[in-house]
Amino acid sequence: MFKYEENPGYRMNDLTFLKEMEALSGQNISACYQCYRCTAGCPVVTQMDIFPHGIIRYIILGEREKVLKAKAIWTCVQCITCSVRCPNDIDIAHVFDTIRKVAIKEQKAAETDTWTFDKIFLDSVARHGRLHEIEAILRFKVEKKNLFEDAKMGIGMLLKGRMGIFPHSVRDREQLKEIFKKCSQ
Amino acid sequence: MTALTYYPGCSLKTSSKFYETSIKQVFSFYGIEIQELPDWSCCGASAANTVDERLAHALAARNLALAEKQNNHLFAPCSACYIRTKVTNERMRQDKNFREDINSVISPLKCLGTGEVKNIIEVFHDRVGIEVIAGRLKYDISPLRVVPYYGCLLTRVMGMEAFDDKENPTSMDSLLWALGVELVNWPYKMECCGASKTLTDKDITYDLSDKIMDMAVLLGADVIVTPCPLCQLNLDLLPYLGRTDQALPILFLSEVFELAISGRLSGSNSHVIAVDQAVKKVKKIGG
Ligand code: SF4
Ligand code: SF4
Repeated sequence: MFKYEENPGYRMNDLTFLKEMEALSGQNISACYQCYRCTAGCPVVTQMDIFPHGIIRYIILGEREKVLKAKAIWTCVQCITCSVRCPNDIDIAHVFDTIRKVAIKEQKAAETDTWTFDKIFLDSVARHGRLHEIEAILRFKVEKKNLFEDAKMGIGMLLKGRMGIFPHSVRDREQLKEIFKKCSQ
Repeated sequence: MTALTYYPGCSLKTSSKFYETSIKQVFSFYGIEIQELPDWSCCGASAANTVDERLAHALAARNLALAEKQNNHLFAPCSACYIRTKVTNERMRQDKNFREDINSVISPLKCLGTGEVKNIIEVFHDRVGIEVIAGRLKYDISPLRVVPYYGCLLTRVMGMEAFDDKENPTSMDSLLWALGVELVNWPYKMECCGASKTLTDKDITYDLSDKIMDMAVLLGADVIVTPCPLCQLNLDLLPYLGRTDQALPILFLSEVFELAISGRLSGSNSHVIAVDQAVKKVKKIGG
């Protein structure tokens, strides 16, 4: 039999996680009335372990672990469809992005590829001021140890002139480094 | 009219260089002058937004500050650059604490959010207009059946007005209509191509882009037209990602202008999916 004592989250008396996520995301998550509209419009819902409305519901129920460890927050392609359609103006995509940060910080992320690539991307920008495509892609592939996967596509793109070979850099890189430094503090 | 400063972003200097060439050609035909933003930096794209929002805004604000120095509007053809920069600009204008914080990060530069950020559809509407477009056609492109593909980024913003409807934009439709193509209505105007996963989870990107291509083929279109370099690239890479079914060429909006003005495409060799069939359908007016 279902015992409430063993499932404290379901009693909704622990609002710590909800408050935490509302504060971090700036979103009024508790306004959700489970209309499923976010889920209905999500283009990658079939690949999610927990649907968007479910993530929102679990936040309200205080299911911290379930939410932080969900694969769905990484499956999300950040297309903002859910946010634009939510009748309660909850920016669900932004809530997902916020959960990502907490999950990484606490080493609970179900998938780290997105994060790894984003970091490599930003590192490239930090050093050149602009994205040096080939460098970023190769570094990611080395990290993932799949250097030769997609090689055909890479070469095809090169032949079509669709991959930048030379790093084109910002002149005032000192000021740019300063921006990255100030943000990492 | 306020002058336009051109912000290429990384795509138009690398994977979509031919988009830049196309824009420059078409703009010079209509007498629209643009000057590249000196020393621009990457807008941070979705990466900065996921990892560190403050950094994302600072990167965008740096470019905005450089443009403000010139008192110009910032023209960003890439949908990702456009929306990231616009969101930051709006907040810099409206939120004093936010503005002060970000300005402390980008100092000695300073951004007040007083400028405006424009995408390519807006520039065609504001600086050329439907009547001039329709009045200066040199080639008949009416045999082309076109599905307008806006992509997911252009009008999906939270907490502010978008330049067009957030669910059913029509601003590009009217440009294409003025150019004389056969416009096909379809349900995937704003469907996401999965650009943010191209490298990290290409199955997702493939599924999304493939579905969009299937629909366009099903409707008997000749070409898909988009203003977004990320959408263009993802759909154009479909044959490399494993698509063996028919695939239609994906033209940039400015390339449709090229066809109507010059009957040819300057960047035809950069397309992975061949454009010849589509270009062949175009005939010189009165010729
Ligand atoms: S659309 Fe908004 S209100 Fe509806 S279920 Fe999703 S988050 Fe809740
Ligand atoms: S932003 Fe993410 S959760 Fe929302 S609809 Fe798009 S993919 Fe789904």
